[in-house]
Amino acid sequence: MANSYLRFWGVRGSYAAPFPTHLKTGGNTSCVEISVDDKILVCDAGTGIIPLGNKLAAQQKTKELVIVLTHYHWDHICGLPFFVPAFIPDWKIQFYGPGESILEMKQNLDSQMQAPYFPVGTETWMAQIEYIEPSQRVINVGSMQIKHHSVHHPGITYGYTIDTGKKKVIYVSDNECQFLDKSIKQKMTEFSQEEQEMFEAMNREEYEYELHAIKDADILIHDAQYTPEDYETKRGWGHSCYVDVVNSAIDAGVKELYLYHHDPYNDDNAIEKIYEESIKIIQSRNASLKCHVAREGMEVELD
Amino acid sequence: MNTEIPTVVVVDDNATVRALFQRSTENLAIELHTFGSADDADEFLADQKPKLLFLDIIMPEKDGLTYLQELRRQPLHRDTPVIMITSKDYAQDRTVANELGALEFITKPMPMRAITDIILKYINKDNHY
Repeated sequence: MANSYLRFWGVRGSYAAPFPTHLKTGGNTSCVEISVDDKILVCDAGTGIIPLGNKLAAQQKTKELVIVLTHYHWDHICGLPFFVPAFIPDWKIQFYGPGESILEMKQNLDSQMQAPYFPVGTETWMAQIEYIEPSQRVINVGSMQIKHHSVHHPGITYGYTIDTGKKKVIYVSDNECQFLDKSIKQKMTEFSQEEQEMFEAMNREEYEYELHAIKDADILIHDAQYTPEDYETKRGWGHSCYVDVVNSAIDAGVKELYLYHHDPYNDDNAIEKIYEESIKIIQSRNASLKCHVAREGMEVELD
Repeated sequence: MNTEIPTVVVVDDNATVRALFQRSTENLAIELHTFGSADDADEFLADQKPKLLFLDIIMPEKDGLTYLQELRRQPLHRDTPVIMITSKDYAQDRTVANELGALEFITKPMPMRAITDIILKYINKDNHY
Protein backbone atom coordinates (compact mmCIF):
# COMPACT_ATOMS: atom_id res chain seq x y z
CA MET A 1 0.00 0.00 0.00
CA ALA A 2 1.23 3.49 -0.85
CA ASN A 3 2.27 5.86 1.93
CA SER A 4 -0.33 8.34 0.75
CA TYR A 5 -3.66 7.34 -0.68
CA LEU A 6 -7.32 8.08 -0.71
CA ARG A 7 -9.91 5.39 -0.47
CA PHE A 8 -13.62 5.52 -1.19
CA TRP A 9 -15.58 3.83 1.63
CA GLY A 10 -18.98 5.17 0.61
CA VAL A 11 -20.00 6.71 -2.69
CA ARG A 12 -23.81 6.90 -2.55
CA GLY A 13 -25.87 9.96 -1.91
CA SER A 14 -29.12 10.27 0.01
CA TYR A 15 -29.41 6.73 1.43
CA ALA A 16 -27.53 3.46 1.45
CA ALA A 17 -28.24 1.21 -1.53
CA PRO A 18 -27.09 -2.34 -0.67
CA PHE A 19 -28.85 -3.85 -3.65
CA PRO A 20 -27.29 -6.58 -5.83
CA THR A 21 -27.79 -4.36 -8.89
CA HIS A 22 -25.76 -1.55 -7.28
CA LEU A 23 -22.77 -3.26 -5.70
CA LYS A 24 -20.29 -2.88 -8.56
CA THR A 25 -20.46 0.83 -7.68
CA GLY A 26 -21.14 0.40 -3.99
CA GLY A 27 -24.02 0.86 -1.59
CA ASN A 28 -22.61 2.84 1.35
CA THR A 29 -23.13 6.57 1.74
CA SER A 30 -20.46 9.27 1.67
CA CYS A 31 -17.09 8.59 3.24
CA VAL A 32 -13.58 9.06 1.88
CA GLU A 33 -10.38 8.28 3.78
CA ILE A 34 -7.28 10.29 2.95
CA SER A 35 -4.12 8.94 4.50
CA VAL A 36 -0.79 10.72 4.23
CA ASP A 37 2.19 9.23 6.09
CA ASP A 38 -0.18 7.46 8.50
CA LYS A 39 -2.09 10.66 9.32
CA ILE A 40 -5.75 10.09 8.61
CA LEU A 41 -8.35 12.54 7.40
CA VAL A 42 -11.90 11.30 6.86
CA CYS A 43 -14.30 13.25 4.69
CA ASP A 44 -17.87 12.64 5.84
CA ALA A 45 -19.28 9.95 8.07
CA GLY A 46 -21.99 8.21 6.08
CA THR A 47 -22.41 4.44 6.34
CA GLY A 48 -19.04 4.05 4.61
CA ILE A 49 -17.33 5.08 7.83
CA ILE A 50 -18.52 1.85 9.48
CA PRO A 51 -16.23 -0.53 7.54
CA LEU A 52 -13.46 2.09 7.77
CA GLY A 53 -13.87 2.10 11.55
CA ASN A 54 -13.70 -1.69 11.64
CA LYS A 55 -10.45 -1.62 9.66
CA LEU A 56 -8.94 1.06 11.90
CA ALA A 57 -9.94 -0.73 15.09
CA ALA A 58 -8.09 -3.81 13.89
CA GLN A 59 -4.75 -2.05 13.39
CA GLN A 60 -2.25 -0.57 15.85
CA LYS A 61 -0.31 1.92 13.72
CA THR A 62 -2.39 4.97 14.50
CA LYS A 63 -5.07 5.91 17.02
CA GLU A 64 -5.87 9.36 15.83
CA LEU A 65 -7.90 10.91 13.04
CA VAL A 66 -9.77 14.01 11.97
CA ILE A 67 -13.28 13.85 10.48
CA VAL A 68 -14.41 16.79 8.37
CA LEU A 69 -18.12 16.94 7.65
CA THR A 70 -19.57 18.72 4.65
CA HIS A 71 -22.92 19.11 6.44
CA TYR A 72 -25.21 17.25 8.82
CA HIS A 73 -27.70 15.53 6.54
CA TRP A 74 -28.21 11.92 7.56
CA ASP A 75 -26.34 10.35 4.68
CA HIS A 76 -23.20 12.17 5.87
CA ILE A 77 -23.33 11.39 9.58
CA CYS A 78 -25.39 8.20 9.99
CA GLY A 79 -22.33 5.94 10.22
CA LEU A 80 -21.08 7.60 13.41
CA PRO A 81 -23.24 5.62 15.87
CA PHE A 82 -21.49 2.48 14.55
CA PHE A 83 -17.98 3.91 14.22
CA VAL A 84 -16.00 1.58 16.46
CA PRO A 85 -12.92 3.80 17.18
CA ALA A 86 -15.23 6.31 18.89
CA PHE A 87 -15.98 3.65 21.50
CA ILE A 88 -12.31 2.76 22.19
CA PRO A 89 -10.58 4.71 25.00
CA ASP A 90 -7.13 5.21 23.44
CA TRP A 91 -8.41 6.81 20.27
CA LYS A 92 -8.48 10.54 19.62
CA ILE A 93 -11.07 11.82 17.15
CA GLN A 94 -11.46 15.44 16.09
CA PHE A 95 -14.48 16.79 14.25
CA TYR A 96 -14.75 19.83 12.03
CA GLY A 97 -17.74 21.08 10.06
CA PRO A 98 -20.15 23.92 9.43
CA GLY A 99 -21.54 25.77 12.42
CA GLU A 100 -21.26 28.96 14.33
CA SER A 101 -19.92 27.29 17.47
CA ILE A 102 -18.53 24.04 18.83
CA LEU A 103 -21.76 23.65 20.78
CA GLU A 104 -23.80 23.76 17.57
CA MET A 105 -21.56 21.17 15.89
CA LYS A 106 -21.75 18.92 18.93
CA GLN A 107 -25.53 19.22 19.15
CA ASN A 108 -25.86 18.33 15.47
CA LEU A 109 -23.98 15.08 16.07
CA ASP A 110 -25.48 14.33 19.49
CA SER A 111 -29.06 14.61 18.33
CA GLN A 112 -28.99 11.67 15.92
CA MET A 113 -27.94 9.37 18.81
CA GLN A 114 -30.56 10.57 21.27
CA ALA A 115 -33.54 8.46 22.34
CA PRO A 116 -35.76 7.32 20.76
CA TYR A 117 -33.54 7.27 17.65
CA PHE A 118 -30.62 5.31 19.11
CA PRO A 119 -30.08 3.31 22.32
CA VAL A 120 -26.87 5.06 23.46
CA GLY A 121 -25.78 8.66 23.17
CA THR A 122 -22.44 10.26 22.31
CA GLU A 123 -21.65 10.35 26.05
CA THR A 124 -20.85 6.63 25.64
CA TRP A 125 -18.04 7.43 23.24
CA MET A 126 -14.88 6.53 25.13
CA ALA A 127 -12.38 7.98 22.69
CA GLN A 128 -11.00 11.44 23.30
CA ILE A 129 -13.45 13.49 21.25
CA GLU A 130 -12.62 17.04 20.27
CA TYR A 131 -14.35 19.62 18.11
CA ILE A 132 -12.23 22.01 16.10
CA GLU A 133 -13.41 25.60 16.45
CA PRO A 134 -15.54 26.21 13.34
CA SER A 135 -14.19 29.75 12.92
CA GLN A 136 -10.77 28.19 12.24
CA ARG A 137 -10.35 28.55 8.49
CA VAL A 138 -7.36 26.31 7.97
CA ILE A 139 -6.82 23.00 9.69
CA ASN A 140 -3.77 20.80 9.54
CA VAL A 141 -3.59 17.04 9.73
CA GLY A 142 0.06 16.04 9.57
CA SER A 143 1.34 17.56 6.35
CA MET A 144 -2.20 18.01 5.00
CA GLN A 145 -3.65 21.48 4.94
CA ILE A 146 -7.43 21.66 4.72
CA LYS A 147 -9.60 24.65 3.79
CA HIS A 148 -13.33 24.86 3.23
CA HIS A 149 -15.59 26.83 0.91
CA SER A 150 -19.37 27.19 0.85
CA VAL A 151 -21.31 25.28 -1.80
CA HIS A 152 -24.89 25.23 -3.06
CA HIS A 153 -26.89 22.76 -1.02
CA PRO A 154 -29.72 23.18 1.51
CA GLY A 155 -28.34 24.29 4.86
CA ILE A 156 -24.76 25.45 5.22
CA THR A 157 -22.61 22.98 3.34
CA TYR A 158 -18.88 22.94 2.77
CA GLY A 159 -16.58 21.67 0.09
CA TYR A 160 -13.00 20.92 1.20
CA THR A 161 -9.65 21.52 -0.47
CA ILE A 162 -7.01 19.20 0.87
CA ASP A 163 -3.45 20.01 0.00
CA THR A 164 -1.44 16.90 0.79
CA GLY A 165 1.86 18.57 -0.09
CA LYS A 166 1.99 16.58 -3.30
CA LYS A 167 -1.60 16.64 -4.56
CA LYS A 168 -4.51 19.00 -4.41
CA VAL A 169 -7.62 16.98 -3.62
CA ILE A 170 -10.98 18.73 -3.65
CA TYR A 171 -13.97 17.05 -2.04
CA VAL A 172 -17.40 18.41 -2.93
CA SER A 173 -19.93 15.73 -2.04
CA ASP A 174 -23.09 17.83 -2.36
CA ASN A 175 -23.31 20.84 -4.62
CA GLU A 176 -25.74 22.09 -7.22
CA CYS A 177 -23.47 23.74 -9.74
CA GLN A 178 -24.41 26.17 -12.51
CA PHE A 179 -27.77 26.91 -10.86
CA LEU A 180 -27.82 30.67 -11.39
CA ASP A 181 -27.07 30.22 -15.08
CA LYS A 182 -30.29 28.27 -15.56
CA SER A 183 -32.34 30.71 -13.43
CA ILE A 184 -31.17 33.63 -15.53
CA LYS A 185 -31.82 31.85 -18.84
CA GLN A 186 -35.34 30.93 -17.69
CA LYS A 187 -36.28 34.50 -16.85
CA MET A 188 -34.19 36.47 -19.33
CA THR A 189 -37.11 37.79 -21.38
CA GLU A 190 -38.66 39.38 -18.28
CA PHE A 191 -35.72 41.75 -17.83
CA SER A 192 -34.74 45.10 -19.32
CA GLN A 193 -31.66 45.33 -21.52
CA GLU A 194 -29.65 46.85 -18.68
CA GLU A 195 -30.74 44.10 -16.28
CA GLN A 196 -29.93 41.41 -18.81
CA GLU A 197 -26.39 42.75 -19.15
CA MET A 198 -25.96 42.92 -15.37
CA PHE A 199 -27.30 39.40 -14.88
CA GLU A 200 -24.97 38.05 -17.51
CA ALA A 201 -22.09 39.70 -15.66
CA MET A 202 -23.43 38.33 -12.34
CA ASN A 203 -23.60 34.87 -13.84
CA ARG A 204 -20.04 35.04 -15.22
CA GLU A 205 -18.83 36.09 -11.79
CA GLU A 206 -20.77 33.28 -10.08
CA TYR A 207 -19.33 30.74 -12.50
CA GLU A 208 -15.84 32.13 -11.92
CA TYR A 209 -16.38 31.55 -8.20
CA GLU A 210 -17.43 27.96 -8.84
CA LEU A 211 -14.41 27.38 -11.05
CA HIS A 212 -12.04 29.07 -8.62
CA ALA A 213 -13.17 26.68 -5.88
CA ILE A 214 -12.09 23.62 -7.89
CA LYS A 215 -9.36 25.19 -10.00
CA ASP A 216 -6.37 23.05 -10.92
CA ALA A 217 -7.40 20.19 -8.67
CA ASP A 218 -5.31 17.08 -9.18
CA ILE A 219 -8.30 15.12 -7.95
CA LEU A 220 -11.85 16.44 -7.79
CA ILE A 221 -14.45 14.31 -6.06
CA HIS A 222 -17.78 15.88 -6.96
CA ASP A 223 -21.50 15.32 -6.63
CA ALA A 224 -22.80 13.96 -9.95
CA GLN A 225 -26.11 12.62 -8.73
CA TYR A 226 -28.41 13.47 -11.61
CA THR A 227 -28.83 12.79 -15.29
CA PRO A 228 -30.24 15.64 -17.40
CA GLU A 229 -33.62 13.87 -17.26
CA ASP A 230 -33.48 13.65 -13.42
CA TYR A 231 -32.48 17.26 -13.20
CA GLU A 232 -35.60 18.38 -15.09
CA THR A 233 -37.68 17.42 -12.06
CA LYS A 234 -35.07 17.82 -9.29
CA ARG A 235 -33.70 21.25 -9.99
CA GLY A 236 -33.21 23.09 -6.70
CA TRP A 237 -32.69 19.89 -4.69
CA GLY A 238 -29.05 20.74 -4.12
CA HIS A 239 -27.32 18.22 -6.40
CA SER A 240 -25.59 18.47 -9.74
CA CYS A 241 -26.25 17.03 -13.14
CA TYR A 242 -23.11 15.20 -14.28
CA VAL A 243 -23.07 17.19 -17.55
CA ASP A 244 -22.53 20.43 -15.60
CA VAL A 245 -19.90 18.82 -13.38
CA VAL A 246 -17.86 17.50 -16.29
CA ASN A 247 -18.01 20.84 -18.09
CA SER A 248 -17.06 22.76 -14.94
CA ALA A 249 -14.16 20.39 -14.28
CA ILE A 250 -12.85 20.91 -17.81
CA ASP A 251 -13.22 24.69 -17.54
CA ALA A 252 -11.41 24.70 -14.18
CA GLY A 253 -8.44 22.71 -15.42
CA VAL A 254 -9.09 19.74 -13.16
CA LYS A 255 -6.81 16.78 -13.89
CA GLU A 256 -8.93 13.88 -12.62
CA LEU A 257 -12.63 13.90 -11.81
CA TYR A 258 -14.34 11.26 -9.69
CA LEU A 259 -18.10 11.24 -10.19
CA TYR A 260 -19.49 10.83 -6.67
CA HIS A 261 -22.59 10.86 -4.46
CA HIS A 262 -24.40 8.55 -6.86
CA ASP A 263 -28.15 8.52 -6.82
CA PRO A 264 -29.29 5.36 -4.99
CA TYR A 265 -31.97 5.04 -7.65
CA ASN A 266 -29.24 4.46 -10.27
CA ASP A 267 -28.01 0.88 -10.60
CA ASP A 268 -24.58 -0.08 -11.98
CA ASN A 269 -25.82 0.04 -15.58
CA ALA A 270 -27.24 3.55 -15.15
CA ILE A 271 -23.96 4.75 -13.63
CA GLU A 272 -21.97 3.14 -16.44
CA LYS A 273 -24.11 5.12 -18.89
CA ILE A 274 -23.38 8.35 -16.96
CA TYR A 275 -19.69 7.51 -17.24
CA GLU A 276 -19.91 6.84 -20.99
CA GLU A 277 -21.76 10.10 -21.58
CA SER A 278 -19.18 11.96 -19.48
CA ILE A 279 -16.39 10.57 -21.65
CA LYS A 280 -18.27 11.73 -24.76
CA ILE A 281 -18.44 15.27 -23.36
CA ILE A 282 -14.70 15.24 -22.66
CA GLN A 283 -13.93 13.92 -26.15
CA SER A 284 -16.27 16.40 -27.82
CA ARG A 285 -14.44 19.22 -26.06
CA ASN A 286 -11.07 17.72 -26.89
CA ALA A 287 -10.16 18.01 -23.21
CA SER A 288 -7.51 16.16 -21.24
CA LEU A 289 -9.67 15.62 -18.13
CA LYS A 290 -9.57 12.06 -16.83
CA CYS A 291 -12.95 10.93 -15.56
CA HIS A 292 -13.76 8.03 -13.24
CA VAL A 293 -16.74 6.65 -11.43
CA ALA A 294 -16.00 6.69 -7.69
CA ARG A 295 -16.56 3.12 -6.57
CA GLU A 296 -16.58 1.71 -3.08
CA GLY A 297 -13.22 0.18 -2.20
CA MET A 298 -11.39 2.10 -4.93
CA GLU A 299 -8.00 3.38 -3.83
CA VAL A 300 -6.07 6.22 -5.44
CA GLU A 301 -2.36 6.76 -4.81
CA LEU A 302 -1.41 10.25 -3.70
CA ASP A 303 2.37 9.86 -3.73
CA MET B 1 -41.76 62.90 9.02
CA ASN B 2 -38.54 61.08 9.72
CA THR B 3 -35.70 63.19 8.29
CA GLU B 4 -32.91 60.78 9.14
CA ILE B 5 -31.46 59.13 6.03
CA PRO B 6 -31.75 55.38 6.52
CA THR B 7 -28.70 53.23 6.10
CA VAL B 8 -28.93 50.06 4.01
CA VAL B 9 -26.09 47.55 4.00
CA VAL B 10 -25.49 44.82 1.40
CA VAL B 11 -23.01 42.00 1.98
CA ASP B 12 -22.48 39.89 -1.15
CA ASP B 13 -19.29 38.54 -2.68
CA ASN B 14 -20.64 39.06 -6.20
CA ALA B 15 -19.55 42.54 -7.34
CA THR B 16 -22.31 42.70 -9.93
CA VAL B 17 -24.93 42.15 -7.24
CA ARG B 18 -23.43 45.04 -5.30
CA ALA B 19 -23.46 47.18 -8.45
CA LEU B 20 -27.08 46.18 -9.07
CA PHE B 21 -28.02 47.45 -5.61
CA GLN B 22 -26.15 50.70 -6.27
CA ARG B 23 -27.94 51.18 -9.57
CA SER B 24 -31.36 50.21 -8.19
CA THR B 25 -31.18 52.64 -5.29
CA GLU B 26 -29.84 55.70 -7.13
CA ASN B 27 -33.20 57.44 -6.69
CA LEU B 28 -33.82 56.40 -3.12
CA ALA B 29 -32.92 58.68 -0.25
CA ILE B 30 -30.88 56.08 1.51
CA GLU B 31 -27.25 55.68 2.43
CA LEU B 32 -26.10 52.45 0.82
CA HIS B 33 -22.98 50.61 1.97
CA THR B 34 -21.86 47.48 0.17
CA PHE B 35 -19.29 44.90 1.27
CA GLY B 36 -17.81 41.86 -0.46
CA SER B 37 -17.55 39.64 2.60
CA ALA B 38 -18.58 39.29 6.22
CA ASP B 39 -15.03 40.18 7.23
CA ASP B 40 -15.21 43.41 5.23
CA ALA B 41 -18.58 44.33 6.78
CA ASP B 42 -17.50 43.56 10.35
CA GLU B 43 -15.81 46.87 11.09
CA PHE B 44 -18.77 48.92 9.83
CA LEU B 45 -21.38 46.80 11.60
CA ALA B 46 -19.41 46.83 14.85
CA ASP B 47 -21.00 50.16 15.78
CA GLN B 48 -23.61 50.84 13.09
CA LYS B 49 -27.11 49.45 13.06
CA PRO B 50 -28.51 49.72 9.53
CA LYS B 51 -32.19 50.19 8.85
CA LEU B 52 -31.95 47.17 6.59
CA LEU B 53 -29.22 44.57 6.09
CA PHE B 54 -29.00 42.30 3.03
CA LEU B 55 -26.87 39.17 3.47
CA ASP B 56 -25.90 36.76 0.72
CA ILE B 57 -26.10 33.15 1.88
CA ILE B 58 -23.28 31.60 -0.16
CA MET B 59 -20.04 33.50 0.30
CA PRO B 60 -16.58 31.96 -0.05
CA GLU B 61 -15.40 32.04 3.55
CA LYS B 62 -18.10 32.98 6.03
CA ASP B 63 -21.60 32.24 4.74
CA GLY B 64 -24.50 34.60 5.37
CA LEU B 65 -26.40 32.35 7.76
CA THR B 66 -23.41 31.78 10.02
CA TYR B 67 -22.68 35.51 9.92
CA LEU B 68 -26.29 36.28 10.87
CA GLN B 69 -25.97 33.93 13.85
CA GLU B 70 -22.89 35.86 14.95
CA LEU B 71 -24.61 39.21 14.50
CA ARG B 72 -27.64 38.12 16.47
CA ARG B 73 -25.42 37.46 19.48
CA GLN B 74 -24.39 41.12 19.46
CA PRO B 75 -26.87 43.31 21.37
CA LEU B 76 -26.67 45.95 18.62
CA HIS B 77 -27.92 43.52 15.97
CA ARG B 78 -30.32 41.42 17.99
CA ASP B 79 -33.20 42.91 16.00
CA THR B 80 -31.52 44.45 12.95
CA PRO B 81 -33.91 43.87 10.01
CA VAL B 82 -32.25 41.34 7.70
CA ILE B 83 -33.11 40.08 4.23
CA MET B 84 -31.27 37.11 2.80
CA ILE B 85 -29.97 37.11 -0.78
CA THR B 86 -29.84 33.72 -2.43
CA SER B 87 -29.58 31.95 -5.76
CA LYS B 88 -31.82 29.17 -4.53
CA ASP B 89 -34.77 29.27 -2.22
CA TYR B 90 -34.02 26.08 -0.27
CA ALA B 91 -36.63 25.31 2.39
CA GLN B 92 -33.95 24.41 4.95
CA ASP B 93 -32.19 27.75 4.46
CA ARG B 94 -35.51 29.53 4.86
CA THR B 95 -36.19 27.69 8.13
CA VAL B 96 -32.78 28.58 9.55
CA ALA B 97 -33.07 32.19 8.40
CA ASN B 98 -36.56 32.51 9.86
CA GLU B 99 -35.33 31.16 13.19
CA LEU B 100 -32.68 33.87 13.12
CA GLY B 101 -35.32 36.50 12.48
CA ALA B 102 -34.65 37.19 8.80
CA LEU B 103 -37.61 39.02 7.28
CA GLU B 104 -37.59 37.43 3.85
CA PHE B 105 -35.53 36.21 0.91
CA ILE B 106 -34.66 37.94 -2.34
CA THR B 107 -33.67 35.52 -5.08
CA LYS B 108 -31.06 36.09 -7.80
CA PRO B 109 -31.52 37.21 -10.52
CA MET B 110 -33.56 40.00 -8.93
CA PRO B 111 -34.83 42.81 -11.17
CA MET B 112 -34.05 46.34 -10.01
CA ARG B 113 -37.72 46.95 -9.25
CA ALA B 114 -37.70 44.03 -6.78
CA ILE B 115 -34.76 45.62 -4.96
CA THR B 116 -36.39 49.03 -4.64
CA ASP B 117 -39.73 47.48 -3.66
CA ILE B 118 -38.24 45.45 -0.85
CA ILE B 119 -36.20 48.38 0.46
CA LEU B 120 -39.22 50.69 0.39
CA LYS B 121 -41.28 48.05 2.14
CA TYR B 122 -39.00 48.21 5.16
CA ILE B 123 -37.87 51.82 5.32
CA ASN B 124 -39.88 54.95 5.66
CA LYS B 125 -41.52 55.55 2.28
CA ASP B 126 -40.97 59.32 2.76
CA ASN B 127 -37.33 58.69 1.87
CA HIS B 128 -38.32 58.05 -1.76
CA TYR B 129 -38.14 61.10 -4.03
